[in-house]
Amino acid sequence: MPPRASKRKSVPPNSSSVTSSDGRSVSNKAKTKGMEKVDRLFNTYANSSLGMIDPEGIEALCADLGVDYTDVRILMLAWKLKSEKQGYFTREEWQTGLKELGVDSLSKLKKALPELEKEVEKPSNYEGFYIYAFRYCLTEEKQKSVDIESICELLNLVLGVQFRPQVDSLVEYLKVQNDYKVINADQWINFLRFCKEISFPDLGNYDANQAWPLILDNFVEWMREKQS
Amino acid sequence: MSNQKKRNFQIEAFKHRVVVDPKYAEKTWKILEHAIHEIYNHNASGLSFEELYRNAYNMVLHKFGEKLYSGLVTTMTAHLKEISKSIEAAQGDLFLEELNRKWNDHNKALQMIRDILMYMDRTYIPNSRKTPVYELGLNLWRDNIIHSGKIQSRLLSTLLELVHRERTGEVIDRGLMRNTIKMLMDLGSSVYQDDFEKPFLEVSAEFYKVESQKFIECCDCGDYLKKAEIRLNEEIERIAHYLDVKSEAKITNVVEKEMIANHMTRLVHMENSGLVNMLLDDKYEDLGRMYNLFKRVPNGLSMIRDVMTSHLRETGKQLVTDAESSKDPVEFVQRLLDERDKYDKIICQAFSNAKTFQNALNSSFEYFINLNSRSPEFISLFVDDKLRKGLKGVSEEDVEIILDKVMMLFRYLQEKDVFEKYYKQHLAKRLLSGKTVSDDAERSLIVKLKTECGYQFTSKLEGMFTDMKTSQDTMQGFYANHPELAEGPTLVVQVLTTGSWPTQPTITCNLPTEMAALCEKFRSHYLGTHTGRRLSWQTNMGTADIKATFGKGQKHELNVSTYQMCVLMLFNNADRLSYKEIEQATEIPASDLKRCLQSMACVKGKNVLRKEPMSKDIGTDDAFFVNDKFTSKFYKVKIGTVVAQKESEPEKLETRQRVEEDRKPQIEAAIVRIMKSRRVLDHNNVIAEVTKQLQSRFLANPTEIKKRIESLIEREFLERDSDDRKLYRYLA
Repeated sequence: MPPRASKRKSVPPNSSSVTSSDGRSVSNKAKTKGMEKVDRLFNTYANSSLGMIDPEGIEALCADLGVDYTDVRILMLAWKLKSEKQGYFTREEWQTGLKELGVDSLSKLKKALPELEKEVEKPSNYEGFYIYAFRYCLTEEKQKSVDIESICELLNLVLGVQFRPQVDSLVEYLKVQNDYKVINADQWINFLRFCKEISFPDLGNYDANQAWPLILDNFVEWMREKQS
Repeated sequence: MSNQKKRNFQIEAFKHRVVVDPKYAEKTWKILEHAIHEIYNHNASGLSFEELYRNAYNMVLHKFGEKLYSGLVTTMTAHLKEISKSIEAAQGDLFLEELNRKWNDHNKALQMIRDILMYMDRTYIPNSRKTPVYELGLNLWRDNIIHSGKIQSRLLSTLLELVHRERTGEVIDRGLMRNTIKMLMDLGSSVYQDDFEKPFLEVSAEFYKVESQKFIECCDCGDYLKKAEIRLNEEIERIAHYLDVKSEAKITNVVEKEMIANHMTRLVHMENSGLVNMLLDDKYEDLGRMYNLFKRVPNGLSMIRDVMTSHLRETGKQLVTDAESSKDPVEFVQRLLDERDKYDKIICQAFSNAKTFQNALNSSFEYFINLNSRSPEFISLFVDDKLRKGLKGVSEEDVEIILDKVMMLFRYLQEKDVFEKYYKQHLAKRLLSGKTVSDDAERSLIVKLKTECGYQFTSKLEGMFTDMKTSQDTMQGFYANHPELAEGPTLVVQVLTTGSWPTQPTITCNLPTEMAALCEKFRSHYLGTHTGRRLSWQTNMGTADIKATFGKGQKHELNVSTYQMCVLMLFNNADRLSYKEIEQATEIPASDLKRCLQSMACVKGKNVLRKEPMSKDIGTDDAFFVNDKFTSKFYKVKIGTVVAQKESEPEKLETRQRVEEDRKPQIEAAIVRIMKSRRVLDHNNVIAEVTKQLQSRFLANPTEIKKRIESLIEREFLERDSDDRKLYRYLA
């Protein structure tokens, strides 16, 4: 068996040492080089005065990736980057995120997108992504709810593929009802649960006596009236 | 004397040599047999008891008990067979008499025989486990007479025939019956039961089945029940007179079943005379009878109760949903009270005040009183009417009675918070216009409400009373400090604490100069002693008394509202005023102003103003003059009192909205209270607990509760459990 490379004892001051799982530390040089590429990529899109990628930059990134600005994969990217503010990527977010993805160039990033999709769709991640999608829309400080228009778009984006019929009906309903002008986090998370648990379109196993948010009770009533 | 030697005296029994004559037993028996004959032939007087006893004794002693016993059996049996023939021979009615006579004879004979044979009874019989003499005698009677082929059935049919005759109204010889029945009882309970009681019950059932069918075809309910009661009492009397008391329960069961249980439904629902008719016509006696009779049968009372309940609910529902009665709230409530009184009396007089019936009454009222959403408002208006004038001259006790009755209705309300809101409004009007008939009555009602609903309910109301009192003191202080004002117009201010009184919007109104100045003086006086407070004049709630002199010199004192005063005072400086001028000068809002002008210009007897044109409505181009021709019988004329009225539709909606708004924080408080103590609780239980907690004030709507829960989640008081969506968690 070839001898293992020993851990370097001294670590250069400015860069953080990253130890991979098998005990080898990434060589400084290689790391710095990798970071450099990532950084450079960042700078390509960043707004220099802000020090971060702004909406314009993201648009440009999208164009380069060949992905539409409104594509759900950008949202997934934001999720992966753990981006806090909608429309902006900070340097740290960019660095950590791309590192997670294991990419350091545009082409690699492009190639990583399908894998990212699969990762998001994993049951263990999906709910987290779904909730993230909502929070990402809370742009103002102390904002707790999102307006109906945006919610409809978000639903389409996030749930549209997996739950097309539910999303279509729900969006239609949200647009015609006027009990609620905004949707809060509790209602949002229950939309997903609704899609997952309730059989559609018969709604046979929906029980209004359970703790579904009122908006869903009203939605079901509206659906049932339509169907009869 | 020589030595006395002790010697044992031996006393030996005197052995009397008894020669047992071989024919001894036979001879002795013959004596006894003869004696028995004589006894049965009523010739006992010639016998020597002592001798016979001794003979029997000796027989037993000499071990001839067996012979004696079997001889007894044979002899007695033979005699009984004779007796049986003579009884059988009796014709018609004499049969029973003969039977009785012979039975008495037999009894007497039996006693004598037993006395004679007592030694045997005590020694031989127990030892050989034979039936004692007396019992033997009874058994032989039973077997040879009662169960004899010819007598058995005849006896039964005779007895039943007599009972039947008595039932159809004939008089029978009860003494004879009694003795016969007693005989059967003496012969053993199985004899009584098998030879009489069982067939008796069967025949009775048949009889009553037929009779009840006959009655129910031709009688109305009340009459039928009378007849049933009579029959029942007859049977009980019959038992007392000549049957075994143990049969009472059995025969009454038969009557109850045949006459009552089998026809219960038909009776209750009988057209024109059934239970509902009795209730409507207050037929206490009939109802009482029905109650007592139905009490005896299973489900009897519950049937009465159910029919009463559904009838009451139906009547009540019609009462409260009738559009006519809703027009007059006082009438509406009075009818409810009358209905309740009616049923209370029925239950008291006819249903022996049974708790279950009281409960049925209460639940029915609770059901229909809440069918009309205006019930709380109407009850408050009823109370208002009483406290304004209805209780004038009524004694203290009667006042209490009326208020207690109102409280009963109040208890039925589901939406007690709506009542509270209206009550507050009406009370405010009463207090401010000084129109309450009795302060004591007002306070008494508050106390009752407090007892019923707790301190929270009445604290604000009590605050209102306090304000009135405090205001009086304030006014005294004001005039004491400003003696110079004693000459001018008298101001009476009531200072109301905002939280306690119903919320009123502050409306603009320009007071006449004199009044405005006076009010300002008061304001500074008040704020001088109460820093940090803010006063706002509620011109829409005030009144004024003004002295007026009209064209022909008529003087009157007018009692008007503050608005009306403002308008009238304008005419001190002008003869003619247009609507617009009045509006400008007073700045009273249009709708109020129009109402105010209408009440002074368009109402006969109160038309202190004249309007051109003379139409009923107030137009913006109208002109107003003082009505110089105004006349009234009274010196004091009251115009436009602020009386509590049934709300108009828009007002009603507004009040309802306010009530709904007030409920939201109460629901939230309840949710938080519950979640704080339970920490984690599932949805359905939260709904249940909240509903229960708020029950005493109003019926909480589950949808509303859900909305509040969601609102609390949004404000991060609660959260949903991450695994079980139905579980809520309290966030400290």
